[in-house]
Amino acid sequence: MKQTLFIVLCFLVASCTLDKTDYLAEISTIVTEHNEFKEVTVIRNDDYTISVSALNGTLYKGYNEIRLKVTNSRTGSDENVTAATFLPVLSTADGSRTSCPHRFELVYRPDEKYFSGYAVFPRESGDRENWELYIGFTVASQVHTVKQPVSIQQQTNKNLNMTAFTGNDNQQYIIALVSPQKPKVAENELVAGIYRSVNPTAGSYTELLQYAYTEVSGYTLQLDPRMPEPSMGNHSSPNNKDLTQQEDGLYDGAVNYTMTGNWTLNFILLNENGKIIKGTKVPTDFTPGVEGVKSELHIDILF
Amino acid sequence: MKKLSAIIGILFLGISAHAQETKDSTIALKEVTVMAKAKKKIETEMKMAVSVDEFLASSDNISFIKRGAYAWEPQLNNMSSERSVITIDGMHIFGACTDKMDPVTSYVESNNLSSVDIKSGQEGSLHGSTIAGSIDLKRKSTPFSTESKWRGAYQTGMELNNKQYFNLGNVSYSSDKFVADGSVSFRQAGNYTDGNREEVKHSQYHKFNTSLGLAYKTRPLSSVRVDAIFDVAKDVGFPALPMDLWLSRALITSASYKQFSEKGLIRVWDTKLYFNAVEHYMDDTGRPENLVHMDMPGWSTTYGLVSRANMITGRVNSEIQLNAYSNLSIAEMRMYPQDRGQRTMFAYSWPWVTTQFASIAISNSLDVSLQSQLNFGGSLGYNYNFSRFTEFNRIFHPGAPREKSRILPALHAGYRFSAGHVDFSVGTGYGHRAPSVSEAYGYYIYNSFDRYDYIGNPDLKNEISYEINAGAGFRTGKGAIEGKVNYFYIQNYIIGRILSLGSPMNYQSVGVKEYTSLDHAKIFNVALNARYDILPHLHWKGSLTYARATDNKGGNLPFIRPVSYQSSLHLMYKKMGFQTSVNGDLTQKKYSPEYGEDQTAGYWVWNASADYTFRLKNVRTVFQAGAENLLDAYYSTYADWGNIPRMGRNIFTSLKFSI
Repeated sequence: MKQTLFIVLCFLVASCTLDKTDYLAEISTIVTEHNEFKEVTVIRNDDYTISVSALNGTLYKGYNEIRLKVTNSRTGSDENVTAATFLPVLSTADGSRTSCPHRFELVYRPDEKYFSGYAVFPRESGDRENWELYIGFTVASQVHTVKQPVSIQQQTNKNLNMTAFTGNDNQQYIIALVSPQKPKVAENELVAGIYRSVNPTAGSYTELLQYAYTEVSGYTLQLDPRMPEPSMGNHSSPNNKDLTQQEDGLYDGAVNYTMTGNWTLNFILLNENGKIIKGTKVPTDFTPGVEGVKSELHIDILF
Repeated sequence: MKKLSAIIGILFLGISAHAQETKDSTIALKEVTVMAKAKKKIETEMKMAVSVDEFLASSDNISFIKRGAYAWEPQLNNMSSERSVITIDGMHIFGACTDKMDPVTSYVESNNLSSVDIKSGQEGSLHGSTIAGSIDLKRKSTPFSTESKWRGAYQTGMELNNKQYFNLGNVSYSSDKFVADGSVSFRQAGNYTDGNREEVKHSQYHKFNTSLGLAYKTRPLSSVRVDAIFDVAKDVGFPALPMDLWLSRALITSASYKQFSEKGLIRVWDTKLYFNAVEHYMDDTGRPENLVHMDMPGWSTTYGLVSRANMITGRVNSEIQLNAYSNLSIAEMRMYPQDRGQRTMFAYSWPWVTTQFASIAISNSLDVSLQSQLNFGGSLGYNYNFSRFTEFNRIFHPGAPREKSRILPALHAGYRFSAGHVDFSVGTGYGHRAPSVSEAYGYYIYNSFDRYDYIGNPDLKNEISYEINAGAGFRTGKGAIEGKVNYFYIQNYIIGRILSLGSPMNYQSVGVKEYTSLDHAKIFNVALNARYDILPHLHWKGSLTYARATDNKGGNLPFIRPVSYQSSLHLMYKKMGFQTSVNGDLTQKKYSPEYGEDQTAGYWVWNASADYTFRLKNVRTVFQAGAENLLDAYYSTYADWGNIPRMGRNIFTSLKFSI
């Protein structure tokens, strides 16, 4: 009886239980979502103030949407800029200079009154690697150019990872994830930019850089998302859609994440003729205890 | 079946519980006597200290899916628990475990129940929409009495096979104005051994249950009552599952107001507000063979209202019941990678699903003549679901709505005739049910029986049942024989079907199944019961059941009981009683490999017990000892999850004191 009473007491006292998971808060702590464009850098001279903005006011390795605005330094009012150009340049210690995928001729968005572009930085700034932005703009048919060093930071959000590789056609490619920044256990619209390096043989020095990469068109990026953890046994999800090119040049598809955690986006990149540029088919069987085999073209994400 | 039909018959007379408070009302008094006949003690003939599960198992139309020694899932008319309404005093409660490891029946204890009211088919729709019927667990509720009275009972005992010890105590106080009922129980059991004397690992359990009910008579014909049950199960093993239960808790509370009336249309009006919260935490740390460590907590919270009125107009006696409840079911799964430094993986297996239900139901009985009675009724229900994280459901069902409403009608009618030695009855019913939370919104719920992960479908159609039933009986002074059949034609029968595009998530599983609707399924049940008094103090009883269930292609449905039989003898000699019984199933011929079943061999077990009743001063004392499965048969039944063997020979003893 005493024993019974004791056990009963234990039951009543030991009433600590698990708390419910705050799912929305949890995915926010793993993945920081940046929705606000903030000023990355500002270039001021006597006449003009050039402001470059990006999400969170930081340029990261990978895909960055860029907004550029030119105002009059004296009055502070918007200048009537008719065209703007944008060229990121990487200088390394050995003196070489390269660029990266970017939009050279920025697009004016009259509603929001800024010039819009993007840059995919394949490398972070380092001791021996410096990034500079070469910006040009035209006011009253007069072209002005400025140059500004910037710092490229590490992208901690794996959902915005990128990969650079040599395709079967011996060309250099870059695939950079654009969205979702913060995936959910759901069907997520998956957006990526796909770029190929080109080696223009003629042109001025800046022209060579400016055309260093091009958006590939008419390609298909086949998608097979899987959880690589051995315990997940090569788990995948249904209803995924391969990425195809949209009007804005980016590639769009759908990825379903069935749970949070580590996922691998296994890709096969096909060119406009359906030829495999890079990537291998991954096994589809359920293999508990075995780490998932990844495609030779893949991007790991985590949320 | 006999008891069952008695209960069903009485239901149309209406009143349950403490009708004695209207002593001056002759109608109420009559009902009390009838009710007293219907009440059966929560004990079986073999065993006086039974668990709720063992007690329910003694009913013909209930079978059980067993995942271990604890928390069996009741199947009514060979249909799974989603198809029946299981309530406690009319209150809706939903288990918090996605794997159905905590049916409602696991949150009560035999010493806080007075009876279990089982209604087959649409007659059960009074409590909510159903296909198979309803199981209402009725709590003890002592009537008011003119003089103050204390009553109590204490029961203790042990079962040797699994070293089960139990202590059950209950006490009640009644007076003219005030009534209190309280109970405390504790059970603990170790692993049991099967018929081959092998230990079935992970079959232990520990359960604590307590209840309190307080009633106060506000006026001569009205009373208020508050009730609470608190139940804790800890360290419960489920040998058939890859994980065990660390802790489950339920708090079940209600407050009711009851008004009697001696004349007028409404004779009794009983309204109850209730709240219950269930939490269920699984644990796989005792299973080192598991590749993945997982947490699978679940919560289910329900609040609701049940209000019923008993009306008498001429020869028609009507019971009207209003049910309304809102339930929130949440279940999570979190998987831990081998490298614990890595990020865990998380998903909802029930993505915060709210179910709101309201129904108005009526059941009437019309005395056509002294011999015959017509029963008819119906209900109209409204079911609303809301999934907070619909995006989980949309992975498999793109565009699935966040909200879903359903109208759930039900109708039933029956005719009973009894004259002299014979009686017969016929009945029919029609009713809808909404898919359960798992069927509609479940997400990768691992089913260790067929080893598939199950995905719900929010767009499932209502399951629609067309039902006919009949019964006939013959009675003499010395014996009786009775047969009962029912047949269900169920449209849009919900069952899991293999989904080729799915990839399993739980590492033990072999694939993904989605709940889909079969065009129809047919279920047929027969039960035969007989009893005979061989000598004035020697009674024989026997029963035989048969069921057949097929899907739209004529294939067998799973979990359908093969032919089963039971035969028992009961001898009373002075203050002693002796019981012996044999029960078994024949070989399961109509099993369903398609749904993960294999053939289960026939078996029979022999049980015997003896009891002695004596008085210690004023205390009535009963001592009982007996053995189940005397011959130590090694067997498992058609509904034993994973073919885990049942208990081998089990010697039990118990001692009960009551005043």
